[in-house]
Amino acid sequence: MLVRRLRSTLLTLSRRWQTTASNTAIESPSASGHSSSVASSQLFRITRESALRTPGISWQDEESDRNIVGGRETRKMNLYQAVRDALSIALAKDDSAVVFGEDIAFGGVFRCTMGLAEEFGRERVFNTPLTEQGIAGFGIGLASMGHTAIAEIQFADYIFPAFDQLVNEAAKFRYRSGGHFSIGGLTVRAPTMAVGHGGLYHSQSPEGFFMGASGLKVVIPRSPIQCKGLLLSAIRDPNPVIFMEPKILYRSAVEQVPIDDFALPLSRAEILIPGSDLTLLTWGTPVYHCEYALRLLNSPPPSLAPLIPPSLRSAKVELIDLRTILPWDIETVVESVRRTKRLVIVHEAGMTGGVGGEIAAEVGKRAFLRLEAPVRRITGWDVPAGLQFEKFNMPDAVRILDGIMETLSY
Amino acid sequence: MLHSLLFRHSSLLTRACSNGRTLSTSPASTSVGCVPTTHSSAVSKLAFFNSVTGDGSKIPNYRVLDTLGVPVEGAEVPKISKQFARQLYENMQLLPTLDDILCSGQRQGRIPFYATSYGEEATVIGSAAALADDDEVLCRTKFCVIYVFANSATAQYRETGVLLWRGFTLDGIMAQAFGNHEDSSKGRQIGVHYSSKQHHFHTISSPLATQIPQVAGVGFALKRDPARRSKNVACVFFGEGAASEGDFHAGMLLASTLPSPTLLLARNNGFAISTPNSQQFHGDGISARGPGYGMDTVRVDGNDVLAVMNAVKEARKRVSHHSTSDDSYVYRERQEVEDRKKNDNPITRFRLFMESRGWWNETDEEELASRLRRDVIKAFKRAETIKKPRLEDMFTDVYAEEPWNIKEQQEELVALLKKYEKVWEPWQNELGDLKDGGKKLSD
Repeated sequence: MLVRRLRSTLLTLSRRWQTTASNTAIESPSASGHSSSVASSQLFRITRESALRTPGISWQDEESDRNIVGGRETRKMNLYQAVRDALSIALAKDDSAVVFGEDIAFGGVFRCTMGLAEEFGRERVFNTPLTEQGIAGFGIGLASMGHTAIAEIQFADYIFPAFDQLVNEAAKFRYRSGGHFSIGGLTVRAPTMAVGHGGLYHSQSPEGFFMGASGLKVVIPRSPIQCKGLLLSAIRDPNPVIFMEPKILYRSAVEQVPIDDFALPLSRAEILIPGSDLTLLTWGTPVYHCEYALRLLNSPPPSLAPLIPPSLRSAKVELIDLRTILPWDIETVVESVRRTKRLVIVHEAGMTGGVGGEIAAEVGKRAFLRLEAPVRRITGWDVPAGLQFEKFNMPDAVRILDGIMETLSY
Repeated sequence: MLHSLLFRHSSLLTRACSNGRTLSTSPASTSVGCVPTTHSSAVSKLAFFNSVTGDGSKIPNYRVLDTLGVPVEGAEVPKISKQFARQLYENMQLLPTLDDILCSGQRQGRIPFYATSYGEEATVIGSAAALADDDEVLCRTKFCVIYVFANSATAQYRETGVLLWRGFTLDGIMAQAFGNHEDSSKGRQIGVHYSSKQHHFHTISSPLATQIPQVAGVGFALKRDPARRSKNVACVFFGEGAASEGDFHAGMLLASTLPSPTLLLARNNGFAISTPNSQQFHGDGISARGPGYGMDTVRVDGNDVLAVMNAVKEARKRVSHHSTSDDSYVYRERQEVEDRKKNDNPITRFRLFMESRGWWNETDEEELASRLRRDVIKAFKRAETIKKPRLEDMFTDVYAEEPWNIKEQQEELVALLKKYEKVWEPWQNELGDLKDGGKKLSD
């Protein structure tokens, strides 16, 4: 009860901060947070040309590129706009598709469903009562009848009441029926990860809890283009998918996003920056802290320079975005580690039981004799996400930098 | 949504408001007014209430036949033919016949697991008979390995009767009980966890009440489908113990707030394994909860197959005609377990009714009993000889496609089998029971 009120309070608080901001160099924090790593990232595709060259993009309409006068269009979108764009394409093309969850109808607490109820009607875009287990169960029932059910859990922190439905029912739906029943049409979206002011219950990364639920897929996008393509793939994938959107990126991640229907592949990692000396593997928000860490390594600011040995500054680190967490792209990761011989995994979720352990074990098995350092995991500590301590809890650029240096000089 | 519901009931509420007819014990003055946004009137006298009936009594049971099969006063006896009555009766008798043989089969160690449904024959057959064959059905089974309850009306439940009514074969029942390769679920689940897409019978799973919010989605899908709207309903069965789960509450909310042709049937047989109602809830059964969610509710004598049939039929009619609506209808059943254990057998009750109509006699009874027993035993013995599924089916159907980890793990098992299968007895014995002896996996 109190927590639910806190959500609307967060929105109010962030608006108050705007009026008292004193340092004009820093952007005013929004309800969906702010990160300087994100703000300074070079990874966003901010031109139409680069957007259309997104690796792995697969157009889902019948148009051949040559027939489109002037080429395909893009539009500037942030992450929540990309979500909405994907949902509107799904709703437009699939008559059975419905979008539902708490507070969906007015546009959603993160605006991911703005205008959809008006455009597609309240029978297809609607609110549910405040019950995650009800939302998940309802979605499962709908999908069992072959319909496309796009559910929203308002914060990933609240996915746990739905855990039984997702793990005992959704994950096992096909298997337990001998393949006769399935719920591929189910997609469950949830905002995830830290946002700067979320505290214990608006900051969690629960992807690790689902690793044992074979039958489910878990996908985490890093940017608007990625979000749109991966979400459309997730919706159309013949398996139930949990799609976790890093909430701090909702407003702060901005790209030119192709307006057409396109897909990006699930279970395929993406090499963002090629390298040869170390593999840096991550997903979601930490992608940008990793990128920043590499910049600090290669050209450290005067304040950090004394702590960064010159011999390490020329290291070429390969940055990989895992994208799909379950089932994950072992081929790309192992191939990379075989080349670089060193692996650092970064995730916001706590160390113990986090996805990093699973990856480390598998990579260790396959690249044991090639590794020149133990697989290093840089993660949140094994503590709940205390509000005032977030900057020391979630891995930031300097912690990642330090871990890279340690692994390089093992 | 909320507005439309209120609109439908506005005449009643307006009356309640203007008359000052409230839940207080003394008539309220209309000058106290109405509370805005709730459409309920305001009263000046502080009074608590704890009953959904106006006079504070328990919700009554709807009944057609008394315990001796005689229509009660004012009974609404449905017009059924002799043939239909015999079909009802035969299906009702088939259930305990199956139970007897499969239960002892389990005790003899010939099948791994079983759960009976003694005492609930009228409930399930009556409901099945009132539904259309292509209405979507979601069920559960509760299992009680305590044989003490095996012969009482308090036993665990399975809605196998729905499957039998719809023509699911004895061979299919046995395949699931034995987990042999004919089982449509490929031997993956313990007994009585039936699944039949063909019969619109959703896969049973062990966690209780999870099917309740799911039925709301199933019903919603029916309503959205132009081919099935106004034709079919979604129906969920669950026990009174399962109704304690959070999923019950979630399911009632989803079913009531989102328009769908959904029926919820709660079977209250007085016990959840060993837990009596008095330790399960404090209110007037499950029926009392329905109005709390704004759902039309009826409590029915679950041992009276005609009452069950009438009630489900009526609920179905209302729900499927109002496909653009509104309320889901909750249907409640109840058996007075202790009193009726000796006097009130649902099968006997109906037999007495049929005999009173001249539709049944002693010869028919003997013939039916021996025929059913013969058919069940025949199917049982046949199923016993059928091999278990292929080992490969341990790994298939987890995802729509096969991911690398499952593929690799399968290869790992193949390598282990190659190495040890001829010398490791536990595996040798198991492989002998499998359809392909594990061969397909190795290929």
